[in-house]
Amino acid sequence: MSTTKTDQSFFTPERVEKFRDYVPFIAIALVILMFWAICGDRFMSVRNWTFIAQQTPVLMLLAFAQLMIITTGSIDISIGSSLAFSAFLGALGMLWFGDVGLILGVFAGGLIGMINGCILSLLKIPSFVTTLAMLIIVRALVIIASDGTSIYITAGSGASGGNISSVAAPWLLSMGKFPAIFIVAVIVAVLMWIFYEKTIFGQQLRAIGGNEKVLRLVGINVTLFKIKVFAASGLMVGLAACVNLARAGAATPQAGMMMELDAIAAVALGGTPLTGGYGSVIKTIIGALTLTIVRNGLTIAGVPPSWSQIALGVLLIAAIAISLNRNKIDVVK
Amino acid sequence: MNEPNSEQLLTVEHVTKSFGGVQAMRDGSFDLKRGEVIAIVGGNGAGKSTLAKIVSGAHVPDSGRICVKGVEITRADHSVSHMQSCGIEVVYQDLALVPNMTAPYNLFLGRVPRKWGLFVDQKKMREKTREVLKQLNVTTVQDLSQPISFMSGGQQQSIAIGRAIAWGSDIVILDEPTAALGPNETAEVERLIEDVRDQHGTSFILISHNLDQVRRLADRIIVTHHGVTSGEFKRNEITSDRLVKAITLGE
Repeated sequence: MSTTKTDQSFFTPERVEKFRDYVPFIAIALVILMFWAICGDRFMSVRNWTFIAQQTPVLMLLAFAQLMIITTGSIDISIGSSLAFSAFLGALGMLWFGDVGLILGVFAGGLIGMINGCILSLLKIPSFVTTLAMLIIVRALVIIASDGTSIYITAGSGASGGNISSVAAPWLLSMGKFPAIFIVAVIVAVLMWIFYEKTIFGQQLRAIGGNEKVLRLVGINVTLFKIKVFAASGLMVGLAACVNLARAGAATPQAGMMMELDAIAAVALGGTPLTGGYGSVIKTIIGALTLTIVRNGLTIAGVPPSWSQIALGVLLIAAIAISLNRNKIDVVK
Repeated sequence: MNEPNSEQLLTVEHVTKSFGGVQAMRDGSFDLKRGEVIAIVGGNGAGKSTLAKIVSGAHVPDSGRICVKGVEITRADHSVSHMQSCGIEVVYQDLALVPNMTAPYNLFLGRVPRKWGLFVDQKKMREKTREVLKQLNVTTVQDLSQPISFMSGGQQQSIAIGRAIAWGSDIVILDEPTAALGPNETAEVERLIEDVRDQHGTSFILISHNLDQVRRLADRIIVTHHGVTSGEFKRNEITSDRLVKAITLGE
């Protein structure tokens, strides 16, 4: 059965809707063209794109973690601290148990996520406040536990002198470099896409963001589900922490500072409304890429870091102003 | 319109419910037969929503007796899921649907079919949705992949009512089903209710402020006043004026 509609105007609501869907893709194309025009081959070189491919994965994984939570209508601003905590525990795990100890980092992230989820849904404290408190607490815990020092990942097996703790794990360092880190990122992205778009869990994420009360009325345990969401998101942060550990070669107490905001920005640049109910893994990847490329391009163009932060802020507002659908927001809230 | 047969589906006897110090329901009694449409009317705070929520399982009554198809519901069993398993579904005024999800999702709310344990069985959902929409004679919903917030109010309400009957419910509670709809959409939903009643023998409990609608649809009208089911009228034995008097004065 097919019905043909005759549209009076070119800008039908459906077409505007479709256009909004493409904003993240148009934005990234424009950004790339712009920096190509300004910086030429210094930007459009294999070397630079290799760098971008190394730079994006940590942000992308954090953005995935944030995407799950934002889709449900909550927000998590503790993931930067959680990343430092997880990286520290991952490194500590390697000191204690050898290479497999790294898994401790992933679980540490999951644990913090679960604590966030429990506070939020059992004590009924809004996610912003809950995770703000955790942002402060977890960062302090890292500093206390590490005594302000870092744990280094080294390539050689030579003993390190003095009080500096280090783990010899050349395999981990090579994981942090171009082909390996990129492959890991692609695998995680594919799994995340399947998880988010095709599973019952992913579908429920969006439904909760849409109308939580209805789900409670039909007998779905929303409280338990939210704890699961925060735990799953925490595991993703833990994974990001391990990737970050591989890239940075050290677990530092300052790791991941302000990264929570980058992750939120990446999700928003991907056109996901912060009010929940909608989201896209592919567009979140595009968002994370856009953020990295803009930073990278501005640096190559010689813009001072403070000014490039301003440019990023402006870009964020512009992107959201265009991609935000007032209709959808009206319905969601 | 066929006459409801005499099979007693639901009996509610002297139920009470208070919240803190407020007695929302002091004495609620009514019964419902198969294929019958009854309406519960009353002013704000008269207890009609409380009564409906007790029947749907959302509120556990403090005292009183409820029987569904001759089986008494004990207070320990009294829950939404138990009432659902007894064949009672509710369509809430504006709490029935998840607006950002598709029609199939909303139809399968809380019952999403699984594939390999983890995944959503999209195909099964689409097929069943088409089947249900066809049964309901709803031909206006074409695109099953768009969020239902893109549909008209009448279409959305059809999906909500469709969900209630798709799973073989005998009793559907409609909480202000057309309060947010325009005249055409209201007519569409009313037609749907009558069709479903005639074809499936479903019974409806209609909670409404719209007395004209109540007089159009309901076989019997139950009036609540200050938490008491104070009167019961057959459709054709009551005038609008008399009904308004019963609602406002409890006479």
